[in-house]
Amino acid sequence: MSFLPYVPFAHALVAKQDLPIPAWLFAWAASIVLIVSFFALSAAWRKPKFEDERWRPAAGWLPTALLSPALQVLCGALGVFLLGVAAYSGIHGTEAPDRNFAITFLFVTAWLGFPFFSAFLGDIFRFFNPWRAIGRVAGGGFRLIAGQRAAHLRYPDRLGRWPAAVGLLAFVWLEVVYGSSGGVSVGLDPHAAGVAALVYSAYTLAMMALFGVEEWCRRGETFAVFFGMFAQLAPFGVRDGRIGRRRPLAAATHWATVPGSAAVVLASIATTSFDGAQDGALKAAIQNTMEAAEKIGLSPLDALRWTDTAYLLVTFAGVAIIYALGVRGMRSVPGAPPYKTLFRGFAHTLIPIALAYLVAHYFSLFVYQEQAQFTYLLSDPLGTATTDLFGTAEAGIDFKLLSPNLIWYVQVASLVAGHVLGLTLAHDRALVYWKDYRRASRSQYWMLAVMVAFTCFGLYLLSVGNG
Amino acid sequence: MTAAAHILALPLAHIGHWLWVFYLIPVLIVVGGIIHTTRADKRRKKDGRGH
Repeated sequence: MSFLPYVPFAHALVAKQDLPIPAWLFAWAASIVLIVSFFALSAAWRKPKFEDERWRPAAGWLPTALLSPALQVLCGALGVFLLGVAAYSGIHGTEAPDRNFAITFLFVTAWLGFPFFSAFLGDIFRFFNPWRAIGRVAGGGFRLIAGQRAAHLRYPDRLGRWPAAVGLLAFVWLEVVYGSSGGVSVGLDPHAAGVAALVYSAYTLAMMALFGVEEWCRRGETFAVFFGMFAQLAPFGVRDGRIGRRRPLAAATHWATVPGSAAVVLASIATTSFDGAQDGALKAAIQNTMEAAEKIGLSPLDALRWTDTAYLLVTFAGVAIIYALGVRGMRSVPGAPPYKTLFRGFAHTLIPIALAYLVAHYFSLFVYQEQAQFTYLLSDPLGTATTDLFGTAEAGIDFKLLSPNLIWYVQVASLVAGHVLGLTLAHDRALVYWKDYRRASRSQYWMLAVMVAFTCFGLYLLSVGNG
Repeated sequence: MTAAAHILALPLAHIGHWLWVFYLIPVLIVVGGIIHTTRADKRRKKDGRGH
């Protein structure tokens, strides 16, 4: 036998990847990339560049065609139809989450697809938003019958995007806490998903009736706000009814001025982190707390849900505290604006990180589940094996499409890129608040710490999750 | 496992629980660096004012 010492690892320490270096070294490398980027920004970037979007209208027939009423009606109708199919298949289809159209469509195709594409193409959800489409038709109908525009309540400014932040937490809670039955990618009972879609539709339409369709979409509608947040990174945007090109990332600089915006982006990072940590880094802690909850008389399912809920909120608080500490640090630099201004003023720098977390955590799930979405789930939406609309009901998922190493490298690359972009946005904003670029750079030491913390935290969650 | 292997076995059965430390070190280095430079900066300013 070999004389090398035998190392008895008790748990699944060996990750699925066959990496040439340990996973934690990637965290070190990512930190070095961030530190080098930080010093490069300090040395070479001395004037703010992102405050002005440099929006200019796009020429040609395509922008006009994209905003044509006919296409908007078509996209809106498609959105309403797909929401209807999802709700119907959820309520009347199979109870197996992985065979039911509703679960994959709502929690993978729409939930992950729109952020990915919005970040490059702009606010595409606006055209497909089913509630906006219904609201606009209802508003048009009202105008036709009553001969006047519907009167709406004034949306309270202080409420800002808080309803969307709460909605975001509730949506993810439904998926990862209420539906955490394990075994499949999204374990939520399709019936519950279908009912939730209908309840959310009723709530959204009521709010649109109260405050107006566009106002509610701008501030309160969870999905419009969440997907719209990522659209701020895109090089395309609509202004005064025209599509135009703008400097990438620049639109984000004015996004977080509305109250509650910081909560939306922090909730996005926290919910993704919790989803990753639930079966990895936090697994033992959740198990222990759950056992304690059972001892005080809760049923196993209630104990699991209450425990998961508590840890989801703790994760949200933890992410918010890391960001708040960074802001607190910046406040110590002479010439700093008030804490509240800084807290809100730097929130947009977290948008690329929120996107990076989504890509890192769900990239492989998205690639695998979309194969199901566009084959057997499309042919047999109810999952009852009674229909084969497109002849693909017998298809399966090719899990060999992505190698474990490729997944890991995409995860690392997205996290590093997201944090470097976040650091760049933060440096740019600091140059607005501190006219002296040396002080601006000094204030950004703290954001560097926040970015390094989020990068290492993200890679740790992924390494444990992959293990 | 032979007796020799038992003797050479390292007590690393639960090392997996401590891997998070490796992820924390870069964060501590950066935070430590910030605190150190900030304090040094303040000290330098104080000394400058004293002269």
